[in-house]
Amino acid sequence: MTVQPILLVRNLAKRYGGVVALDDMNLAVEAGTIHAVVGENGAGKSTLMKVLAGVVRPDAGVVELDGKIVSFSGTNAAREHGIGMVYQELSLFPERSVLANLFVNREPVRRGLVSLTEMEARSSDLLRQLGLDVDVRAPVSRLSIGERQLVELARVMLERPRLLILDEPNSALNSRETERLFGVLRRLRAGGITMLYVSHRLEEVFSICDRITITRNGRDVRTDDTSTLTIPAVIEGMIGRQREDLFPPPLPQTSDTQSQLTVSNLSGGRLDSASFTARSGEIVGLAGLEGSGVSELLDMLFGMRKSRGGEVRFPDGQGLPRSATDAARRRVCLVPSDRRRDGLMLDKSILFNLSNVAVGARRGSPLYSARTALERARRQIDALRIKGAPSAPANSLSGGNQQKIVIGKWLEIGPQVFLLDDPTRGVDVGAKREIYSLIRRMSAGGGIVLFSSTELPELIGLCDRILVVYQGRLIGEATGSQMSEHTVLHMMNTGELLAGPQQTPSPHGTAA
Amino acid sequence: MTGIDNDQLQPATAPTEAKRGWRMPEEIGVIVALVAMMVVIGIARPRFLNPINLFSLLGNTTFLGMLAVGMVFLLAIREIDLSVGWMFNFSAVFAALLMVAGIDPWLAAFAGVLFGAGLGFLNGIIAITLRLPAIIVTLGTYSMFQGLSLVVNKGRAIVPADQSSSFFSVISQKLFGLVPVAALVFIALAIVMHLVLHRTRFGYRVQAVGSNPEAAEHAGIPTAWVKLQTLVLMGAICGLSGVMYVGFRGAIDPNEGGDFVLVVIAAVIIGGTPLSGGHGTIIGAVVGMMIIQVISSGLIFFGIDATWSTFVTGAVIVLAVSLDRLIKFQRARRAERSRETLRR
Repeated sequence: MTVQPILLVRNLAKRYGGVVALDDMNLAVEAGTIHAVVGENGAGKSTLMKVLAGVVRPDAGVVELDGKIVSFSGTNAAREHGIGMVYQELSLFPERSVLANLFVNREPVRRGLVSLTEMEARSSDLLRQLGLDVDVRAPVSRLSIGERQLVELARVMLERPRLLILDEPNSALNSRETERLFGVLRRLRAGGITMLYVSHRLEEVFSICDRITITRNGRDVRTDDTSTLTIPAVIEGMIGRQREDLFPPPLPQTSDTQSQLTVSNLSGGRLDSASFTARSGEIVGLAGLEGSGVSELLDMLFGMRKSRGGEVRFPDGQGLPRSATDAARRRVCLVPSDRRRDGLMLDKSILFNLSNVAVGARRGSPLYSARTALERARRQIDALRIKGAPSAPANSLSGGNQQKIVIGKWLEIGPQVFLLDDPTRGVDVGAKREIYSLIRRMSAGGGIVLFSSTELPELIGLCDRILVVYQGRLIGEATGSQMSEHTVLHMMNTGELLAGPQQTPSPHGTAA
Repeated sequence: MTGIDNDQLQPATAPTEAKRGWRMPEEIGVIVALVAMMVVIGIARPRFLNPINLFSLLGNTTFLGMLAVGMVFLLAIREIDLSVGWMFNFSAVFAALLMVAGIDPWLAAFAGVLFGAGLGFLNGIIAITLRLPAIIVTLGTYSMFQGLSLVVNKGRAIVPADQSSSFFSVISQKLFGLVPVAALVFIALAIVMHLVLHRTRFGYRVQAVGSNPEAAEHAGIPTAWVKLQTLVLMGAICGLSGVMYVGFRGAIDPNEGGDFVLVVIAAVIIGGTPLSGGHGTIIGAVVGMMIIQVISSGLIFFGIDATWSTFVTGAVIVLAVSLDRLIKFQRARRAERSRETLRR
């Protein structure tokens, strides 16, 4: 490794008040490589990227570009130094045209007017290179998510960055779109562009990146060539403890109620004719890529979405709930995946949020007792170890504590059916562990648990069996020894069962 | 990471808990503003503080104030009802016509309240079946109610000829020759509605839906039903205000109520209820309405041309919301800072 690194980060530190986001972060990125930065939430990788993009100023430490020390006063300064940042959340204007989005704030002007022709001329080469073949004068809202991501990438590429930072660029993409994006990234690498790639999805990191830096608690733990690392080794580096430790063992059944949820030929939205049963005392996993129909399935079971056909029998002997209110009254609960939008009243107190279901959805006395609500809040705060006073507003809490509120408001009514849509999204490892043991308790208490997740390890670590949904079809089930990341990932990405025990390389490995 | 969280959070939560016990009521700002204005006017023109004047001021606040009380629920659920003035007018016209037709005024007044609730129901049912914001629906019904009211009153004031019924004497009476009964009804309504907002399941749901409709839906709160209830309540309060107006004045003008809606919304906002929903204060709305009344009557006391009162009212609204913004902005910044410390 005699190559001079294009980017060198030394001893970077950043504190937010008393909390250390970056402790002693080091990073060396060689020109022309794709370099991954991985780590759990809170490991400091987003703060690191923000420092590099000029959004956040570090308290200490040095950033060197091509051997020269730089310090960015803002995002524009970083941009001028050739650093381009593609954000995780799309920042496009959906109602405006592709061209308008590409040239936001630096529209080429001819004779005092914004010139579309000029824009087209300047961007056509790049768009061809990115393989983005769309009507550039049409509004962005007509494009697929994958194409939008490419527009976002193109916008950054127009500034001709030397170093491209990609923060979970494919979080909203399906496997085909991801492949396409990766193809583009490989071509960019061949063209000499250096990339920093931040992602949670390790399989993809392994398929596209040359080197990996593992971060934990604001430090870099290990940096190595991808070829010398394995996924378990990376996971171990990220969480710093054995993975089995993360998943609490099954608890003994504390309830002897035997109930069952039967779904036959259920269709609706993207989901087509799904049939399965789930029994009390087991945790049934639901795996599927974004847009596969898993969310629709949970929404239908919760009464938020109408079904097109099929039959469902809940433990109470009835069919699908007519509405979410009906579901709540029949003790069916849903923990939505978008916590901030669908799960919380952010400006309201913990106490208020915890009363959502018991007061808001259920019938009973027309009066609202502040004292009962306070008792309820105290009970859940104690039981779930929520770190906050009952009167603290929900938006003052960390992601993990917020998620506990969403779960806690349902626990108040003792649900029989738990529909959990990616309940650990965006929470730190410690909170994840607590949520896992909560899920174990739900199941041990006689609840029927359907658990969907975007993170395979947690499905495998927690579930008794995993149902895999591919493009709206429930294509199969993995149980026991079949529940390996390979088998499930293969099913999720191809819709086919893995033939035989001899496993082919990961689906991303060979595709180019 | 979790270890850090623990250390960080424990001390931070303790003060919040302790603070809750003796926290100042949020309405303290507007109350202080109202008292200060009255003191200033009172020092310059002592006649202003004469109890007779103050109570007649309260009496004048009644009809618009009642609408403001109902409007708090609308803003709390993140909606606005533009048709309140004409629901008020139409219900009053309806009740007055029944009285003219010889029906017992008490019965007619009761029918007027129900009629108002019916108008609110119409607003509500359109809004929830078409999933439209109430502001759009009531933009239409505003003119519909105005037009229908005009059709039935034929552009003339409705004056019930026989005003010997106890209905008229009770409503327009002054207790101890001082306190208008209408004002007492208004205060009673405000107290009841304050309790409804903070101490009932319905009030809880209104705030929940207003705070985050999506999350309310996902928590199983029957959002459409709550919205309908709120609009019906608003209609019923308009009806009550309308029939009391008939009892108080003995007549209803064809245009009375046409300019109510903006004053009502202004009072609610001056009182501290945000447009962003999720939260409302009845006490604030009542005080807000009183502030508006004190301004217009204070101007008269200073001998300033009454035509100025509209301008001053507007200026006070702008001032009130600017102050509110400023306070919120600072609070948000403080919250942001403490959050930054807690996270990561």
